[in-house]
Amino acid sequence: MKHITPLFFLIFATYIFSAGDGAPCGDYGECDTFKPDLWNSESLQKGFSTYINYCYGCHSLKYSRWNRIATDLDIPEDLMFKYLIFDSEVKSGDLMTGSMIKFNAEQWFGVAPPDLTLVTRAHSPEWVYTYLRTFYEDESKQYGVNNLVYPGAAMPNVLLSLQGQQILGCKDILTYASNGGVKRDEKGNNITEERCGYLLSLNNGQLSTEEFDQLIYDLTNFLTYVGEPAKRVRERMGWYVIFFFIIFTALAHLLYREYQKDYH
Amino acid sequence: MEQNPDKTRRKVLISMTASVGAVGAAFAVTPFIASWNPSAKAKAMGAPVKVDISRIEVGQIIQVAWRKQPVFVVRHSQNALKSLVKVENKLADPNSISIEEPYRDLHPTRSKSNEYSVLAGVCTHLGCAPKYHPEVEPKPWDATWLGGFFCPCHGSMFDIVGRVFKGVPAPTNLKVPPHNFQGNTLTIGEDKT
Amino acid sequence: MDTIYKWFNERLPISNTFERHLSKHPVPKKVNFWYLFGALASVVLIVQILSGIWLMFGYENSEEGAFASVEYIMRDIDYGWLIRYMHTTGASMFFAVVYLHMFRGLLYGSYKKPRELVWIFGMSIYLIMMAEGFLGYVLPYGQMSYWGAQVIISLFGAIPYIGESLEIWIRGDYYISGSTISRFFALHVVALPLMLIALVFMHLVALHEVGAGNPEGIDIEKHLDDDGIPLDSVPFFPYKVLNALVGIGVFGTVFAIFMFFFPEGGGYFIEAPNFEEANPLSTPEHIAPVWYYSPYYSMLRAVPDKLGGFVVMAAAVAILFVVPWLDRSKVNSIRYKGIWSKIAILLFAVSFITLGYLGTVPVTEIRTLMSIICTIIYFSFFLLMPIYTSFEKTSVPPERL
Repeated sequence: MKHITPLFFLIFATYIFSAGDGAPCGDYGECDTFKPDLWNSESLQKGFSTYINYCYGCHSLKYSRWNRIATDLDIPEDLMFKYLIFDSEVKSGDLMTGSMIKFNAEQWFGVAPPDLTLVTRAHSPEWVYTYLRTFYEDESKQYGVNNLVYPGAAMPNVLLSLQGQQILGCKDILTYASNGGVKRDEKGNNITEERCGYLLSLNNGQLSTEEFDQLIYDLTNFLTYVGEPAKRVRERMGWYVIFFFIIFTALAHLLYREYQKDYH
Repeated sequence: MEQNPDKTRRKVLISMTASVGAVGAAFAVTPFIASWNPSAKAKAMGAPVKVDISRIEVGQIIQVAWRKQPVFVVRHSQNALKSLVKVENKLADPNSISIEEPYRDLHPTRSKSNEYSVLAGVCTHLGCAPKYHPEVEPKPWDATWLGGFFCPCHGSMFDIVGRVFKGVPAPTNLKVPPHNFQGNTLTIGEDKT
Repeated sequence: MDTIYKWFNERLPISNTFERHLSKHPVPKKVNFWYLFGALASVVLIVQILSGIWLMFGYENSEEGAFASVEYIMRDIDYGWLIRYMHTTGASMFFAVVYLHMFRGLLYGSYKKPRELVWIFGMSIYLIMMAEGFLGYVLPYGQMSYWGAQVIISLFGAIPYIGESLEIWIRGDYYISGSTISRFFALHVVALPLMLIALVFMHLVALHEVGAGNPEGIDIEKHLDDDGIPLDSVPFFPYKVLNALVGIGVFGTVFAIFMFFFPEGGGYFIEAPNFEEANPLSTPEHIAPVWYYSPYYSMLRAVPDKLGGFVVMAAAVAILFVVPWLDRSKVNSIRYKGIWSKIAILLFAVSFITLGYLGTVPVTEIRTLMSIICTIIYFSFFLLMPIYTSFEKTSVPPERL
């Protein structure tokens, strides 16, 4: 019994530490939820493909190697070379150092586009997922767009053609009484209030909202993988290690009790 | 103190705990040992090298780096290959029996091609790079030189396909790295059979 | 086999040492789980040394290469990620175990005569550990490594007259750079571990000289059997070794849960900004130290004056050293101390944990007020101790365990 109490306490403490707080997402408020699915090869492959087509032109993944991604995502190397690697000098074991020269980048954007290998670990996956979907039209900015999650971002909206434009607009929203109920007038209609700062879609993109969200989900899933490729193996291994320690503790406990009989 | 400890139960528990512990220790040690294996970076740097052989002329040699070592690619004329028999009585191991010869008996070139030799440019004595002397004429190191490699460090001699002479410091023939010919491309370091 | 053993035994005190310190070393027969943390601390020390050495095979201690070399370890070296997480989890586990070990000391009066020196060696170990953790955290050279180093080194700048020169001397440069990384690397890998090992050794030697305490706080040597061995003792080997084994099993389970499932510790073991390379031109929104320093960070922030904050922080650690002389109680263990000691230690624990929490969150007015209150409670626990331990009504501990 006396061994179980501290164990229980410590395991409880691990839950406290593991609780990721609702990651703050700038002017957007709390980030949207995002649950990674790191064993889903199809999602990861789609995300990888999106990354190469829309992001890799500016953003390197300089800690990641091509052949590691090919192995982990079940992509045959020849297909990867055919469809995803556009530089003939690249070998499969190379690091993904990107296509943009840092000096030029700083000239064009004011700041070099950062490397994104660890972006989901420095910010959270939720942050990345939300950020990529909250660009809106803003004529006062260099590239005509601003971002709710990262106001003042120097990045143009490369996904504009897919998502379509978004603007900051006003919406009529429901009002609530202090007891939590929706306020209504005498005729039973909801009483609404106009609030601004909401993202409104102009629905002029190639993809529907669901399709675009799925695209970004896959992309964020891929970036979560790239942030820590070992994560899948680590969690699988963890179960075995914990199982081992539980068995070992049980045996050690029996042995200890057996010898304790000598003096109890 | 308990007077009659159950010796059998103790033995069983000790051995069970000890064996579980030993198994755990073996698993725990594994990552430490495995981490010494060549890293992905080392494997990338040691990756196979591709060479365009279309521009090598007959009798010409080029040198390529693979795993930080020189590799010679020599294009032989058919005459030179036919005269290989003349040098055989000078050789210590004409059939490369005493070494690991990956492409034994395929071609006189000792490679996968009947025209090109692929040889590690590392003298099997102490590791210097031998120099290629294809001219059939008397040389200071051999009055009846029929062409081949001469190592300047300690005077070892090899024929044009890298087989070692008798009576020189080097003990064995020059090594042939795994390789593969595909059209005009030679890949050194990989043998896709 | 026997003759080989005999040959060595004639030239080294193998069997003597084994008997004196293991198979015939008497320890109190009845202790509780609080007494396991010392053994666990030595286990973690070994884990840190092994994982640390293995990390050195991949780490590059230069300004340009440090950050990338950590990702190299995580991705390119087989099981490099496992060794890295072992080391980061181990660091947090080390402090968790040591804090609990220290709290045991406060609970049961383990520092009282004749164990004052054991306590002082222990406090020295704690001090070196804090330096070691700080130095280690700078090495990956992420944003938090850089800015945490910036904050801590600038604390030394608060010292009058010599402050600024001292900062430059510590850094080896006018700003944090490769010089700082190389020297921190040497200190973290060689100098401080050597000191730690020496201090742990002395800690154990001093302990074995006087014998371990017990939760009742009584002296087991008062009642000996005919051979002069304390009646309430058992030999350390095998009984306490087996007990330690159970502790290691439980501890290993917790360690593994963190290492394999929550290696970042919710952002408290490895802080998120540290996944960005150090950028001297951009300060992270919240600079916070790792969790085990956060109580002292709260105290630092609670004092409006820079030098004052530094002094309060230093005093908070220094005062721990003199506890053996602050505690005037007639009894050792909290079980038999008076109501004031019990209230005091409860308040102390609550205030320390609260200070710890406050150190991890951004500053607000209310939080600053709470930090000040908790700091006062923290110091009162120690400064008032001579008073409440002398005057309170204690009960009588038992004669035997």
